[in-house]
Amino acid sequence: MSRGDRRGVRLGVWLGTASLVLGSLTLGVGSLTAQAAAKPFKACVVTDTGGINDKSFNASAWKGMQDAHARNKNIVVSYLSSTSSADYVPNINTFVHRGCGIIVTVGFLMDTATQQAANAHPTQKFAIVDDAPQHLKYHNVLALQYETDQAAFLGGYLAAASTKTGVVGTYGGMEFPSVTMYMNGFVAGVRYFDKVKGAAVKVLGWTPAKGTCSLASCGGTGTFVGNFTDQTAGKTITANDFAAGADIVFPVAGSVGLGSVAAAQQAGKGHSIMWVDSNGCVSDAADCSWFIGTVAKGVEASVRDAVLAAASGKFHGGTYLGTLKNQGTALEYGGIPVPASVKSAIATIAKGIMAGTISVNPNNYPAK
Amino acid sequence: MPEGRRRWWHHLTTQRPWLVTLYALVLGFVVGALVIITTTASVLDAWRAIFSSWSALGHAIKLTFDVVGAAYRTMFTGAVVNPRVFWHAVTTGQGWTYALTPMSETLTYAAPLIIASVGVGIAFQTGIFNIGANGQAILGGVAGAYAGSLIHLPTFLHLPLTLLAGILGGVAVGLIPGLLKAYTGAHEVIVTLMLNYVVAALLIFTLLSTALQQPGQQNDISRTIDPSAQLAPLFGAASGLRVNWGLAVAALVVVFAWWFLERSSLGFDFRVTGANPQAARASGINARAVIILVFVISGGLAGLAGIVQMAGTTHYLDGGFLIGNAGIGFTAITVALLGRNRPGGIVWSSLLFAGLGVGGRAMQAATGIPLDLATVIQSAVVLFVATPVLVQEIFRLRHTEAGEVRLATSGWGS
Repeated sequence: MSRGDRRGVRLGVWLGTASLVLGSLTLGVGSLTAQAAAKPFKACVVTDTGGINDKSFNASAWKGMQDAHARNKNIVVSYLSSTSSADYVPNINTFVHRGCGIIVTVGFLMDTATQQAANAHPTQKFAIVDDAPQHLKYHNVLALQYETDQAAFLGGYLAAASTKTGVVGTYGGMEFPSVTMYMNGFVAGVRYFDKVKGAAVKVLGWTPAKGTCSLASCGGTGTFVGNFTDQTAGKTITANDFAAGADIVFPVAGSVGLGSVAAAQQAGKGHSIMWVDSNGCVSDAADCSWFIGTVAKGVEASVRDAVLAAASGKFHGGTYLGTLKNQGTALEYGGIPVPASVKSAIATIAKGIMAGTISVNPNNYPAK
Repeated sequence: MPEGRRRWWHHLTTQRPWLVTLYALVLGFVVGALVIITTTASVLDAWRAIFSSWSALGHAIKLTFDVVGAAYRTMFTGAVVNPRVFWHAVTTGQGWTYALTPMSETLTYAAPLIIASVGVGIAFQTGIFNIGANGQAILGGVAGAYAGSLIHLPTFLHLPLTLLAGILGGVAVGLIPGLLKAYTGAHEVIVTLMLNYVVAALLIFTLLSTALQQPGQQNDISRTIDPSAQLAPLFGAASGLRVNWGLAVAALVVVFAWWFLERSSLGFDFRVTGANPQAARASGINARAVIILVFVISGGLAGLAGIVQMAGTTHYLDGGFLIGNAGIGFTAITVALLGRNRPGGIVWSSLLFAGLGVGGRAMQAATGIPLDLATVIQSAVVLFVATPVLVQEIFRLRHTEAGEVRLATSGWGS
């Protein structure tokens, strides 16, 4: 065989492979249309730029979708991740055209895109996490919001009751209302403890502004990493808090909090971390013994319930407000033992918050 | 064998730049197929079971082609056109928006990419490696957002002003490495690369701490620019298609770049400097002026790309603007490389990259294969284009009479 022929054979093999690939493009058409007979309910989520593996609210939303599938096998779930805000509109439109029964969008950044799509498609159901669009024409959007300051208040009380040094700390990823709301509630809980117990526990990292705190605006001054990814910065901030006398730190910064865990491990026993969003003893089970508790946000459960409701024809547009009462936000205990007396005190306070007799606004308590 | 057919075969087996690119593309999709096969659990299970029964092998082969086929088919119908939907629109006159959306989306994403890549390509041709296009584009978007939202004018003044602000924003960032290189010899690769981080931090600062932040918001989101500053949809807002006048801007940029590089004397100076700096200096070309001008043009085009991206799609900025995978300034480097730094080639490679991204989204929605596959294919294609020797060996291509294909990356850092 001459060199020229070998060259021809090699090229022929490659072209053959390519043509097989192209050929299979046309072959599969029939199989796709055949699947439509079972009539599954399509539930679709458009994630923010973090994607479904961000260990934060995108991951929680996706977990909620999968939970819905686990309860109702007729629900088929799919997701599209966005690489930038320019992707929101086409991603939502892709799902509208695919006939999704409900489209879940994640985060305040998708407010405008979700609102436009909802107004353009009156019969399409939407749910949006952590946001409430203001200019809707129809009742086809369910806004999922969470009053996390209620659970953070309990977290603050727990930290104040557990500290040996009389100093606790907190910091945030970026200065967004969805972040500062946690910090605000945390400070309120500490101040409440000081008031009822006559103590003087100090909080590092957040000083609330005057006025009330809502998801639209929750002001104050405090310590922020500047992103939700830099664990080294989280470790440095936490180590500084420890050096300033704190023994419990509450990071509100997604995976940056892992840096705080590392700092606590370095500082040794007696230092602990309050985790955020989803139970630290589940999402980071290996470090459970360093967690005093988790201020949890019920993204999973609320997304799951929205999808299940839509699949069974019981979807209602409007606002879902996650509170202590409906377990849309909760304090969960971690691997560090908490005395029964403190737990029962916290349970009583939780009832007070639910009943509206205890305010979670830090400005209602004297600052120490 | 008839003479005509032999010549055809000869063409396909002789090394030419465009042929290497074409084969690189084929190889990129082959790599993508391998990734799909090795990451799809059902396909792997089918292959594990091939010894269990006689029909299992056939099943495994069929499933492999079904899965890969479905992925690439949805990618194509999502990025270019779905023949069935298109035929439905032709025969019934209904659903044109849906039928044209894939093409519209690809063009929407391609427009800013073309502009940024032409800027990077012009720098490449002058022997300058501008890795800072992303930072220049971000500041272009920021400057454009200021002009578009805080100044109020009629469209015929406002839109040009907004685009000009975008260009000036890019020039401002581009001039820093340009002046540093021209007067101190600081290497542009380091300076431009590092400036990207500076500008990304500046973006967050402007969104959280200046008048650009949307009133009533504490989140990292800017004001929406006035309708008079927006690049309107090409076929009107009622068309439902996002393709916008940014495409016309990109077309003008391509024509300008072609004229500049091929017809103008300054462009000639640029190319001579890129090909042989010593010869350029000896023939009286002012190297310092060329370096500064390259950064003005390259940075200005990157800035224009940033504002076209913003004014054509979202009409506002957020903290994720051109960050991470959305960084068109970084993509522009590979697109320019693939297009061999020529305006015409860049148009094609931009369309390819935009199409892979847009089609990848449709593929993810339909098959659940992650959008990242599009990135794998893009990267593999560029890798093969950057190593023509590899492609030449795989396909056993003959050398041309003119000799080796020049390495597309040659000259960087010189």
